[in-house]
Amino acid sequence: MAFLTLEGIVKTYGTFRAIDGLNLEVRHGEFIALLGPSGCGKTTTLQSIAGFVQPTEGRIVLDGRDITHVRPEQRGLGIVFQSYALFPHMTVAQNISFGLEMRGVPTAERGKRVDEALDLVRLAGLGERYPKALSGGQRQRVAIARALAIRPNLLLLDEPMSNLDAKLREEMHIELRAIQRELGITTILVTHDQVEAMTMSDRIAVMQKGRIVQIDTPFEAYERPHSPFASAFLGKTNAFAGAVQLRNDRCCHVQVHDTLMHVPHEDRTLGNDVNVYIRPEKIRLVALGSGRFSGRVRLRVFLGNLWLMAVESRLGLVHMTLPNLGTPPPEEGSEVGLDWSDDDLRLLDREVAHGQV
Amino acid sequence: MHKNGFFSLLFHALFVTFIVAPLVVVMAMAFTSKGYLSLPTEGLSLRWFRALADNQEMLDAFALSIKLGLASATIAALLAIPAALAISRYDFPGRGAVTGFLLSPLMIPSVVLGIAFLRFFSLAQIGGSFWALTLTHVIVVLPYALRLTLASTIGLERDIEHAALSLGASRWTAFYRVVLPRIRTGVVGGWMLAFIQSFDELTMTVFVATPGTTTLPVAMYNQISQTIDPLITAVSTVLIVGTLLLMLILDRMVGLDRVLIGEGK
Repeated sequence: MAFLTLEGIVKTYGTFRAIDGLNLEVRHGEFIALLGPSGCGKTTTLQSIAGFVQPTEGRIVLDGRDITHVRPEQRGLGIVFQSYALFPHMTVAQNISFGLEMRGVPTAERGKRVDEALDLVRLAGLGERYPKALSGGQRQRVAIARALAIRPNLLLLDEPMSNLDAKLREEMHIELRAIQRELGITTILVTHDQVEAMTMSDRIAVMQKGRIVQIDTPFEAYERPHSPFASAFLGKTNAFAGAVQLRNDRCCHVQVHDTLMHVPHEDRTLGNDVNVYIRPEKIRLVALGSGRFSGRVRLRVFLGNLWLMAVESRLGLVHMTLPNLGTPPPEEGSEVGLDWSDDDLRLLDREVAHGQV
Repeated sequence: MHKNGFFSLLFHALFVTFIVAPLVVVMAMAFTSKGYLSLPTEGLSLRWFRALADNQEMLDAFALSIKLGLASATIAALLAIPAALAISRYDFPGRGAVTGFLLSPLMIPSVVLGIAFLRFFSLAQIGGSFWALTLTHVIVVLPYALRLTLASTIGLERDIEHAALSLGASRWTAFYRVVLPRIRTGVVGGWMLAFIQSFDELTMTVFVATPGTTTLPVAMYNQISQTIDPLITAVSTVLIVGTLLLMLILDRMVGLDRVLIGEGK
């Protein structure tokens, strides 16, 4: 039984369809990320759930209650805004206390719950400060504490990390995830950052042009993208254009330039234009002559934990990553052998590819 | 800090002298014991302040001007808040026209406004009342209140209001507890400018003021066009000193530069 259901949501601005028939079912306690580029409708979707945007069509049901036309102040949601939206003229404690006050929580209990909320985000003792006197990361925590203090039935996060620097963002991902698990609160995150979506969510809803084009666990979505769009949006990938040459019910053979690639578990019509995909980390470096094909190293970049390589081969430029195991890979200009497992190849129709990427 | 050079200091000194000298001259003349305007004067005296205290017409005019300023500035500020919020927030058809219309009294010569109001009041037969006069002042000072209020609403984040709503605040509470404190400096600054404009307004008011509704500037104008005695300098001195004290108090309480220039970040 879904806790939150979005049914056929449409939002139009003039002729522009910001949300174009969106359906989503979220289970209780689940963490869902709405992932997509800017303009894909993810923020409009969040604002519809929050009640700041009235959908043109469709229904929003939260915990069995139709909230499509309920005013935002009566929805009881916790929202963390991209700008944090802290009240600058109130102290941290007053900020957190605001929602409790609106709910008529008695003063004594308010103080207790403010302290609890501050503890939860590890800001105990900073209640008397003004937001101005806090760092970006601390403001973010106050915003989270304020949203959680009212014990909302649903937590909405609108690109909450985009104003933090990379290192802090990573810490907050893990911390926020832990808090969400601890409280068991159903959460919806809007982000354009695939790492953020993957680290925190149970399921990722990839959005494109006002629709959800795929919803899966981070692993499934990364490993088995349904479209070239989803594939490209969730991390880097190599794409090789080809045509189906041979097929049976267990596999396809795709002609890419003068190479026949064997893709198992896929079934396509003969002669179809397709793209074969493989993620950079699935390609292995092997001794020259022993892999499936060979190439010349064009680029070698050291990233600390990884080596990023680009190898010129018969298939074109192949991008790959290697974990840094202590020995540098062959230098730029050297001949290397490349290999992969056929199970790591993915196949997607090229019509879709051309239409959407 | 940058140090000012000699010429820069000289320029500033001359500039300040130029601004302040007339005020000083007026104030000095108020303490004359003679029955005419003179400077330098022999014999210091407070007789013209005594004369002012005994001049009921002048005192009534002063009280009326204060009342008029308070009423028109407050009404203008109350109208300016929703207008500024609407203009800065919503992109509605005719937004530019509405803004232009509300600011238009700035561009119409006071004389023209005065004649228009006079004609309108005599046709509608509502001239001569305090509220008719207030109405004219609201129209004239609204642009000042609106401009400063707009300055503070334009940069206002929509998110904080949304945050308040999401935390369960009603629209009114969200406005009162979150939006209003954010735009307070603009509203207060606008109110002050509006009050000053109303208190100072002569050109338009001369046309619509009646014997029952004579504002201080009009009373002073009448006085000086009939007789030239130092009473007028005494009135001026009281005004100058009064304003100075008011500014000092306001500066202590809220910080004038914050109100008139904007909130420092």
